[in-house]
Amino acid sequence: MEKYLNKGIKDLISEFPKVGDILNEYNIGCVPCSVGSCLLKDIVQIHNLSSGDEEELIARIARVIYPGRKIKIPKVQRKAKPKSKEMEPTRAIPRLHSGWLVDGERPSTLLRTSKVPSEIEGRSRTKARDSCGRNTERPEHIRGLKAEVLGRECIKYSPPLKRLVDEHILIKKWIRLIPTVIKNIDIESESDRRLIIDGMEFIKYYADGFHHAKEEDILFEYTDKNLDIIKAILQDHETARGHVRAIFEGLKTKDKESIIEHLNGYKDLLTEHIKKEDEILYPWIDRNLSTKQVGELFSKFDEAEEKIDKEVVEKCKRFVVEETQRIEKIKQEVLK
Amino acid sequence: MMDGCPGSRMQDFRKKEETKGDESGKRESQLGQWPIQLHLVSPMAPYYEKADVLLSADCVAYTVGDFHKDYLKGKSIAIACPKLDEGQDEYVEKIKSLIDDAKINTLTVMTMQVPCCAGLVAIARQALESAKRKIPIKSIVVSLQGGILSEDWV
Repeated sequence: MEKYLNKGIKDLISEFPKVGDILNEYNIGCVPCSVGSCLLKDIVQIHNLSSGDEEELIARIARVIYPGRKIKIPKVQRKAKPKSKEMEPTRAIPRLHSGWLVDGERPSTLLRTSKVPSEIEGRSRTKARDSCGRNTERPEHIRGLKAEVLGRECIKYSPPLKRLVDEHILIKKWIRLIPTVIKNIDIESESDRRLIIDGMEFIKYYADGFHHAKEEDILFEYTDKNLDIIKAILQDHETARGHVRAIFEGLKTKDKESIIEHLNGYKDLLTEHIKKEDEILYPWIDRNLSTKQVGELFSKFDEAEEKIDKEVVEKCKRFVVEETQRIEKIKQEVLK
Repeated sequence: MMDGCPGSRMQDFRKKEETKGDESGKRESQLGQWPIQLHLVSPMAPYYEKADVLLSADCVAYTVGDFHKDYLKGKSIAIACPKLDEGQDEYVEKIKSLIDDAKINTLTVMTMQVPCCAGLVAIARQALESAKRKIPIKSIVVSLQGGILSEDWV
């Protein structure tokens, strides 16, 4: 089993597709990852599973790899969890030997979720819906997992990371419009071409210039850019840029099929990318940032935003709001 | 049953047995400034400039065993009592000045779990809202026996 813990996840899933399904049940979404070079042991660590849940997950994977055989389940090595982040005010984000997480790192979850009194007193929460109003029902075999592990509880971000998450909300609004745009696309119509151009400019100036730039130029400086997770995120950014270039090219040559293909490609990529950042990358970075670093990041984001033309950012925001309203209106008219 | 104000209700949590653990050796103070009371400090003092500031309720330091090592280290401090101190409008102005003039990096507000102590977080929020600059504020709530109940960015 040890050798499989040190195997890249993409290779493991292609050899044993059932492993992907098991990881999905624990809300570990490696299946659609474009890189997939992270090692199984690192993936288990970064998702903050309790030791019991981790053993159960690895045991289930072992049963898939070695059906019918009794396998000794190795424990993923971890260092002791620090008592408080305040103990090391200038601690840098741990460096990885390989994969996503430093060897044995088990960061504190204090900042991850908002603790309600019942949790403070050590009582478990068994409501069908969590404080965000989301359904917390889950399959019986993983019912014992903490909600935060399953990503179904409100994740609390530090202020700079929260800013990036809020920017995702606007980007996701545009992504949600893409299927309707594709459905009604008329490549000869000037207004449809304008809509796609505006959508691409939104991506270029807001999603890429405003949002991705803060990640690449500032946030990732607080991480090791050789980490697989950072490489995967940077690769996603490049792939997204490729889709945008292809869409502009398609507009020039009036290649409707290509435009649709790349709009869909962008939608699928960014949907998964944002989920990965919101649920895995940002919480992990947050757990490893000291208070001092959070303050630094916050002011660096402020400085970066000062340099960007505010009118362009506002125009991008208006575009998504207006298009959402316009498409909603069309949908309602169709329903009538 | 109503027991009066939770902030002043008597509770006895003396330990029956002596605390185990290594008590040998001396612990260095992590305090790097004087004064520390919020009425007495000047936001223009050099130790506040671009600092990570800890705004602590008076009782916190007596409650958290490792206060110096875990929370004060690397920070500049101001202390106040949101229940008993007078002139709390001045507190808002001083924190606002720490944010705008001293350009502090972050503000961590440590309070006790008793309801009246939440007033210190409210003062910090009010100062942040009236300040021109924005900074991250973290709230740490301490239990009466020194445990950390929550640690959240405001």
